[in-house]
Parts: sequence; structure tokens; C-alpha cells
Amino acid sequence: MKNSTLKYGTYSFILKALTILAVITLISHVFGAYLDIINIGLIHIIPVVVVAIHGNMKATIFITLLSVVFFNFLYIPPLYSFNVHDELYLWSFGIFAAVGWIVTVQAKNLMKQTKQNELRESLLHIISHDLRTPLSTIHGTINLILSNSDMEKNSIKNLLEDINYASLRMKRLIANLLDSTRLSSGDINLKLEWCDFEDIVGVALEEFSQIQKDELLEIKIDEMGLFWGDNTLLTQLIINLFDNAFKYSKENTKIKLLIIHDKTFVKIKIFNKSDYINKVKLKNIFDKFYRFEDTNDISGSGIGLAICKSIVTLHGGTIKALSEDEGMLIEVRLPILKKAKLL
Amino acid sequence: MNNYLIQIVEDDPSVKKLLEITFKEYQFKSVSCESKKSAFGMFLGHNPDLLIVDLGLPDGDGKEFIKQIREISKLPIIVLSARHDEREIVAALDAGADDYITKPFSVNELLARIRANLRRKINEENISDTITCGALEMNIASRDIFFKKEPLKLTPIEYELLKYFILNTNKTLTHKQILKEVWGVGYQNEMQYLRTYVNALRKKIEQNSTRPTYIKTESGIGYRFNCNNE
Repeated sequence: MKNSTLKYGTYSFILKALTILAVITLISHVFGAYLDIINIGLIHIIPVVVVAIHGNMKATIFITLLSVVFFNFLYIPPLYSFNVHDELYLWSFGIFAAVGWIVTVQAKNLMKQTKQNELRESLLHIISHDLRTPLSTIHGTINLILSNSDMEKNSIKNLLEDINYASLRMKRLIANLLDSTRLSSGDINLKLEWCDFEDIVGVALEEFSQIQKDELLEIKIDEMGLFWGDNTLLTQLIINLFDNAFKYSKENTKIKLLIIHDKTFVKIKIFNKSDYINKVKLKNIFDKFYRFEDTNDISGSGIGLAICKSIVTLHGGTIKALSEDEGMLIEVRLPILKKAKLL
Repeated sequence: MNNYLIQIVEDDPSVKKLLEITFKEYQFKSVSCESKKSAFGMFLGHNPDLLIVDLGLPDGDGKEFIKQIREISKLPIIVLSARHDEREIVAALDAGADDYITKPFSVNELLARIRANLRRKINEENISDTITCGALEMNIASRDIFFKKEPLKLTPIEYELLKYFILNTNKTLTHKQILKEVWGVGYQNEMQYLRTYVNALRKKIEQNSTRPTYIKTESGIGYRFNCNNE
């Protein structure tokens, strides 16, 4: 449903241009004697401009051709033929094409800017929401401690633990935001070097609290050589995968991470138990700013997994999310581009 | 309790205040200044036991100051960096800083680093026969390394690497520094050797190689050999 309306919406402007062309032909026919050839020529530019502002070069070319053919066939002597005697008319055809091209290019730029603005706006929205959630924990908890002077030491420690956790979340989010602007600017170069996945997982684990590390994780990494990739980005990838698993995992269930070595690729699998997730949503999970609609209370944002996708794509790999065994499995496949030579 | 004097070079008033309060709480003496210009005079005047230097000073580069200090003193220098700017940190370490910590930092982490660096300074001053670190022990004279009282079986390069780590306990070492010292000049960029041998060493001395307690990775910077004999 949505798809077909989208398609109609996308191409309706061509229909509009065709209608305008028909109306123009009619007007030119009826008032041809008053309008003179120059003005008839000029009004034939209208459909070209109407199409061009939609920024679709193919459509522009199509309508320009059509407009020129109509103009030539119906109004340029010899009438009802495609012979062009006068070189001047060739010029006016050239001008048609030039107008169409200029407007299309400008329109394209404008559309790109609008899209970027939209992205920026939703980014701001997410920042304000997602930074505010841990911040309110910190703020509220500190106020609670400050206003209760005779609180038990143990409960103070618990509250401080909450503050610590919230601030760690904020730190991760800020790192993600910086990465996302870097990754979406498009001109990022991978800093390729030899990476050790065991080492990367170790560094990624430092970002999480002791409780998460010790009790909730099960990690298995194949014995393998070094992997040729961007160390910083791959670390961020693992951090985000862990972060996502912790966020959506059912309470008190284990999260499993597997890194499997094959001849031509490395496979990273991360699994967490979770309430049933429908398949349509799983497809969208790597889109920027996507978040399960019914889990609004969970802090964080779709930004983490979108970054995962960018990182994986930059390494020439694939990432997908599957619903499996009452939980979610994210599977990353990274091609092995180079093998390390040692001594 | 102790008589250590720490000099703080930090221009951000809130961070400076946090450091001063922390040091007072944990019985360190401290002096502080806000700029590179006043830092050197203060250093000469007070002769501190440890320096904490912010990298982003208003009147210039913290690195220059570190180089200046290194010409006249070997005291531990810990660098504070606002962003996780790896290149800046590596440059500061190569200029002679011993360790770094990024903002926002936890006070516990900072104190642990300060204690570790002060301890290293003492160890260097009182030379003993063996260096002990957890279950690891190195005999200075014979250069034998023991793990859980047993001689540790190592390849020659593994041995050189572990020896270098032990001799530079609790210090952040950049990739370049390690490669140059263990493999030699000309090998500074051969990261694959370093990663492979660190991986192999961890398999021999760490209980869980994804949660190392001895050889810690400082992402994008280098490694740090941790030793907490309290």
C-alpha cells in the first residue's frame, strides 16, 4: 500500500508536466497567430522547468525532448515535419536543454540540503532525549543524597552506583555522536591496521560496569590471526553491539558473543534473550534513528546500530538481525582482505 | 600520611578544584597553576614529586613544557587530556610523559595512577634483586622470569617484550616506543608483530585474555603493564 502511493507520489510530477505540455499545445494552437513563434517557444520551457525542480535528471531529459519535438513539429516551418532549416532553432533547442539541466542540478542540491537538515533535526531530538535520560538520573539521585543527611552508607553506595552507570551511558552516547558525524560526513578514510579481536573485545568491555561484565556475558573467540581493519571503528562496533544487547536483553539472562574465524571471513554473532520482536522491525533496526516503538522507556537510540552498519559497510561486510530462540541475534560478516605475514 | 607534593598545571577551574579537594582528602600536598608560563617557575621553586599537566593550556602546548621538564628531571608526569585525542596523547607520551588520563576521569582511577607512578619512582631509587608483580617475578641479575614460582617458558621475543613491560611497570608505553625498544629501530610501524606477541604473552600469563589484568590495552595509543602490589 504504502509503496504504491509512494511510487505514484514520486512520479506524479511527470504527469503534471505532460498535462501542462498538452495545455500549452492547445493554447499555442488557438492563439498561435497572436503569440508569435518566439513566445510559443518560451512557453514551451514551462514544462521543462516544472519537471526540473523535482531534481530527476532522467525525467528532465525526457520532458525536454518531448517539448522540443512538439515545438519543432508543430510550430517551426516547415510545419508538421522534423526538418530544421534555420540553425537558430538548433540554438533554441540547446537553450531548452541548458535550462533543464541548470534547474535540475540546483534542485538536487536543495533536496540534499533539506534531507541533511531533517537528519540534523532528528539527531538533535535524539540527543536531547537520550542525554536527558541519564542526566535526570544523575541530577535526581544527587539531589536525593544531598537532601538526606542521615542516609545509610549502603543505600548511598547503591545510589552512587546508579549515577556511575548513567554517566557511563552518557559517555558512550557522546562517543557515538562524534562517530556518527564523522561517519555520515561521507569522506571518511579507514585507518587500516592489524587488529586482534581478543584485544578489541577486551577494550570494549572496559566501557561497561563490573556487574555487566562478570555475570551477564559469555564470550567465545576463535583462535585466529590478525584482522586487517580499522581498530578504533571495530572497537566501537563491538561496544555498540554489547550496548544494544544489554539494552534489549531480558533481565537476568546471559548475552552471548561469538567470534568465528573462517577462511575468507570473520563472523561476529551476538545474541540476547528478548521479548518477541517482529520481523519487519528487525529489517529497519539498522536505519538511522530507528527504535522499537514499544520500548520507549529504554534509554538510548537507534544511532548505535546505524553506526554499526556504517562501520561494517566500510569494511565491505554485511550485518543482519534475526529473531531466534526467543531472542535477537545480530550477525556481522567481515571479509578477510589480507593475511598477516609474521617474521 | 605521606609527604608527596603534586604540582597541578590545569586552567579549568572546576577540574583544578576537584583535583585539589581530592588530593587534600587523600593526604597529598599540592600546588597548582593555570598556565605553562608560571608552571616552570613553580616547578623549580617547589620541586614536586609528581606533575599533572593538562594538554590544552591557554598559553601553549603542554608537550613543550614536558620536554622542558624532561631535560632536567625524571619525575613522574601524568597528562590530562580533554578529548580522547589519540595523536595528542601519543605525542605527549613520546615527549616524555609517563601516563595519561582522559576527562571525564574517575578520581579512583587518577589516584591509582598517581600511586602507581610514585611507586615506580621509589622502585627505581631502591634497586632490589627481584621485581614482583602479582604472580610474576623477575630476577634482575639473572633476568629469569617466574610465573607462580615456576620458570615461564617464553620465546626470545616474548621474553624481551615481557622484560620491557616489567621494567616499565605502570607506565603507558606507545606502540612506537615498544617496537623500537624490543624489535629495534626501523620496526616502529610493524604493528602486526606487537599485536601478535601481546596476544601470545597474554595467553601465557593472563587468566582470561579478553579481560587482561597485567597487559592492558590503551586503545589507539599503546599498552600499559599493570602492577598493583598493595
